Amino acid sequence: MKPIHTIAVGFDGSEDAKTAVRWALTLATHCDAQVVVAHAVGLLERFDAKNVAVELEESLLRLCDESGLEHSRAQLEIEDGDACSVMLRMADPPISADLLVVGTRGQGAHAGLLLGSTSLELAEHSTIPLVIVPRASTTEQSQMA
Amino acid sequence: MLIINGGTDDAGHEDPGHPERPERLAAVMKGIEDLQLGDDLLAVAPYAASRSELARVHESTYLDQLGAFCFEGGGDLDEDTYATYDSWALAQHAAGAGLAVVKELRIRGEGTGFVAVRPPGHHALRDRAMGFCLLNNIAVAAAELTSLGERVLIIDWDVHHGNGTQAIFWNDPNVLYVSTHQWPLFPGSGAPYEVGGLEALDTTVNLPMPPGATGDVMRQALEETAAPVIDHFKPTWVLVSAGFDAHRADPMADLALSSGDFARLATFAASFAPRPGRVALFLEGGYDLAALRASVSASLGALLGSSATTEDPTNGGPGADTVRTTRDARQAALRIAHDTSH
Ligand SMILES: [Zn+2]
Repeated sequence: MKPIHTIAVGFDGSEDAKTAVRWALTLATHCDAQVVVAHAVGLLERFDAKNVAVELEESLLRLCDESGLEHSRAQLEIEDGDACSVMLRMADPPISADLLVVGTRGQGAHAGLLLGSTSLELAEHSTIPLVIVPRASTTEQSQMA
Repeated sequence: MLIINGGTDDAGHEDPGHPERPERLAAVMKGIEDLQLGDDLLAVAPYAASRSELARVHESTYLDQLGAFCFEGGGDLDEDTYATYDSWALAQHAAGAGLAVVKELRIRGEGTGFVAVRPPGHHALRDRAMGFCLLNNIAVAAAELTSLGERVLIIDWDVHHGNGTQAIFWNDPNVLYVSTHQWPLFPGSGAPYEVGGLEALDTTVNLPMPPGATGDVMRQALEETAAPVIDHFKPTWVLVSAGFDAHRADPMADLALSSGDFARLATFAASFAPRPGRVALFLEGGYDLAALRASVSASLGALLGSSATTEDPTNGGPGADTVRTTRDARQAALRIAHDTSH
């Protein structure tokens, strides 16, 4: 198995995405990896001209502290695109992630439908391993930490 | 003669505050009224695309799920895209409008088609709604034409890359997809090295533009990079994904086109039709109502020989250097793909 140097995790600011980010940051502390926290800017976010960078950055630093990962080992990557294509791009240079991590419901999936589910779409198209972190895993990851 | 379908009864597809809203279509229809076409305007009867017509470009399970989602009252399909109870029927009619316009053009053998519909279509994938789009209207029409043995050129000048259309025809040698779009921007696809699948190499042409790019650079890219590919492809039909969100007033992106630029783009697209009655424009994006009205009027006016004045075409923006780098990247990708396939 290829060693994990870079973990890319999707982050839209939702609680489910935070669960996934916590899991990725915790994993990074165990395998000496870097974490790229990827945020996709969709049509409406751009239309609303909300600058979410500061908010996401603050949120990420808090999550690093909780997980015990040095801030320098996690970076925020904000890219225009839909959540799925942005995550798939993380596997390509320059990021060249070895592992993709997403939550179950954030990042585009709504209404419990198969329609628009980023996690399922990623599972179909990713060329590198993918972890889908279920909502209930919060307690498990804190034990792991 | 302008042959249109759509423009009415779309009010049921609405989400308060969402920019993809019924007022857009009202602005489009004003743009057509401004041309004062009189008897030169023909509105064809609404038509809902059939299951088999939609299934040429969409997965059956997706059609089932989307229909069921709407009938249960709708909601958000992703962070950008909504559907309501009425959206399924309206999307079927939006896809059917393209079929009806193409059919009328085939019968008449003359005229210019305009599919004035919402929801738009070019982001819709085979199995997924996306980017305000539910069903891929232009793809449904192109697939109908290829089933009749036609070779279809799709020019997509919406400011966003039409990822759905590109993906649907990725390996189809009978559809040439050419897109100008701001890049990077949603949906993130549309790089110059995306040139088509191994069974259809050189039938995808992506011409990304930097923010601020003006009409002159877009025309240069189309003329220098796309035109030779189109000439070689020899289309028998020309369909246009006519989004007007590359207009400088549009709030959704940062290109700097004027309505006069859209007139020129329309003329460029239509020049590849081998005979009259082989060009249809499909409404995609465009979110500034005044710019949308003026741009619809300018682009259709250019095709109908209208003498109406438009904003001057734009020039002097950034991006001239990207025309060459785009062409180089395309050629490198084609070489690699040819080596791989042999
Ligand atoms: Zn658009």
